[in-house]
Amino acid sequence: MILESISLSLQKGKAQDVKTFVKEALDNKITPKEILDNGLIQGMNIIGEKFKNNEVFVPEVLIAARAMNAGLEILRPVLLSEGVKPIGKALICTVKGDLHDIGKNLVKIMLEGKGIECIDLGVDVAEDIIIKAVQEHNPDILCLSALLTTTMNYQRVIIEALKKTNLRNSVKVMVGGAPVTEKYAKEIGADGYSPDAASAANLAVQLITEGV
Amino acid sequence: MFNKLEYYKPDIEKTIKMLEKMYQDALEHRGGNVTFRALPPSDYDFYAKFDLTKYNYETDLEKYAQDLCILLKKSYELRKDIDDNMVPIISPMLGIGDYSAFVTGDITFQPDTSWSTPSLKKVDDWKKLPPLGTAKWYKKFLEIEEYLLQISADSGIPFMRGFFSPLDLAGTLRGEGIYLDFYDSPDELHELLDYCAEATIMFAEDIYTLAEKYLGNTKYGMFYSKGVINMSEDIACMISGDLYREFAAPHTQKVIDYFGVGHLHTHSRSMYLVKEVCSLKNVANLWLPTDPNAPRPIEHIEDLVNDANGVVLAIDCENFQEIVDNIEKLKKGNFSLTLPVKDVEEGIRLTNKFNELIK
Repeated sequence: MILESISLSLQKGKAQDVKTFVKEALDNKITPKEILDNGLIQGMNIIGEKFKNNEVFVPEVLIAARAMNAGLEILRPVLLSEGVKPIGKALICTVKGDLHDIGKNLVKIMLEGKGIECIDLGVDVAEDIIIKAVQEHNPDILCLSALLTTTMNYQRVIIEALKKTNLRNSVKVMVGGAPVTEKYAKEIGADGYSPDAASAANLAVQLITEGV
Repeated sequence: MFNKLEYYKPDIEKTIKMLEKMYQDALEHRGGNVTFRALPPSDYDFYAKFDLTKYNYETDLEKYAQDLCILLKKSYELRKDIDDNMVPIISPMLGIGDYSAFVTGDITFQPDTSWSTPSLKKVDDWKKLPPLGTAKWYKKFLEIEEYLLQISADSGIPFMRGFFSPLDLAGTLRGEGIYLDFYDSPDELHELLDYCAEATIMFAEDIYTLAEKYLGNTKYGMFYSKGVINMSEDIACMISGDLYREFAAPHTQKVIDYFGVGHLHTHSRSMYLVKEVCSLKNVANLWLPTDPNAPRPIEHIEDLVNDANGVVLAIDCENFQEIVDNIEKLKKGNFSLTLPVKDVEEGIRLTNKFNELIK
C-alpha cells in the first residue's frame, strides 16, 4: 500500500509526499531495495510508458523526475549503507556542436528511473572529452544525443574514435535525437537506437543485462 | 541587384489570387483548395553556402545583406519557370538565435544555424530586463532588414519575417525551467507569456513599419506582412493539449488579434495539437512539416481535415503518387503540398502534372 502511494505520488509529481511516504516505508522496515524497485522505479516506469504513448508530456515527466529525486535523497544513504548498487552505469551527452539538451535530459531521467547511474557530460561535448570520460568511468553504456542533422554525424565520429582507442568493445553505444533513425544508427555502427526516451531506457536495461 | 518580381514569377497575379482565395476560404472554414510547391535542391542548398560565422555582426551587416541577396537571387532565377505556388521572398537568415535575442542576450553562430542561451533564471526575471526595443539584436535586426530592403525593394519582392509564438519565446528565454513553471508558477508563467506576446507585437510592428516604408507602394511587397503574423509553435509538441489551451493559446491569440491573421508553424510530432492550434481565431495557415520518427501528415488526411476546420495545412509529400492517391481527400480541406524534386526540370514537369490533376 505504501509502495503504491510512493508510485502514485511520484507520477503526480508530488515531491514532498514522496519524501514522506519513503520515510514512512523505511520506518515500516520495508527494505530500501523494495522501496526503490516497487515504489520509485515502478512510478517512473509508468510515467515512461505514458510518455511513450503521448498520455503525459515533458512537464509531467520533469515533475515526476523531481519527485523521484526527492525520494532518492532519503533513500540513497540507506541504499549505499546496505550495498545496493545501480544496475549499470551510463555516460550521456549531446555531441559537439549541439546545445539542445531536452532529449538528453529526458533520457537521463528515464535511465535513472530504471536504476542506472548516469554521468552527464553536458552539451556540445567533443571527442577527446568523451573518450577520456569512457576511460575514466568505464560505463556500460554511452548515450550520444543530437538534435540537428548537421551534428548527428558527430555520433559516427565518436564511434570511430572509440574504435581507434580500442574502447569500442568495452562500451555499448546508444544514439538518439530527433533526426536519428534506426537505419542511421545501424549505418554508423551504434549498438542501440530508440525513438523516444522511455524506449531508450528499456533498451539500456536490455543492453546492460543481456548485452544485446 | 534583383529583377522585378514578375521576372521570377511570371504569373504572379494568378499565384497571389490563388493564395488569397485559399487563405480567405480558410478563415471562413471552407475547404476545396489544394496548391502545390515543388522543392528543387536550389530552393534550399544555398543555405549551406551561407556561412553565418563568416560575418562580424558589428561591421559586416551590409556585406551580409549583399551576400544573402546574391544567393536568393540565384535561387529564384533557377526556379523561375516552375509554375507552382511559391512566391519569392526576402527574409533575414540568422539561424534561430535572433528569434529571442531581440529581447535580451547574445547569439552564438554556427555555420548554418545559431542560438541564444536562456537568460531568465527565474520565471519573473523578465521584470529586470531593460525596456523592450533597447536590446542589441533588436536594433541590429532592423539594420539588417533595412540593408536587405535597400537592395531588394525596387524588385517588389515581398518581405517576410517569422517570429516565435509567446510560448516559444518564453521557452527560449527561460530554458527547460519553463516546463516546471507550468506546475510550480502558473500565474507568473502567464505574466511571462504576456510579456512575450507584447515583445513580439512591438518587434513585429517595428519590422513591418520599416518594410512598409520601402515596399508600401509595391503591389505585393507586403503580402506576407500586412495584417499577417507568422509564428512558430515549436515547443508546443512538448506539452499536452490541456496545457496548450490554458497557457499558450490565449497569448498566441493576443498576437494574432493584434495583426489580424495568423500563419502558424509546428511539427508533425504535434499532430495531436492541430485541433487546438486551428481552433484559434483567424488562423489561415498551419505549416506542419514531417519530423523524423513521427507520424506523416499525408497519411492522416481525413483526421487532419476534421481537426483543421478549413485552416490551410502546409504539408510535405515524398512522391507524386501520394498526391494522386489522396487528392479527393485533400480537396475536402485546404492544403498546400510540398514535394522535393531532383531538379528544376522535374519540378516543372510535376507542377504541370499537378495543375492538370487539380483542374
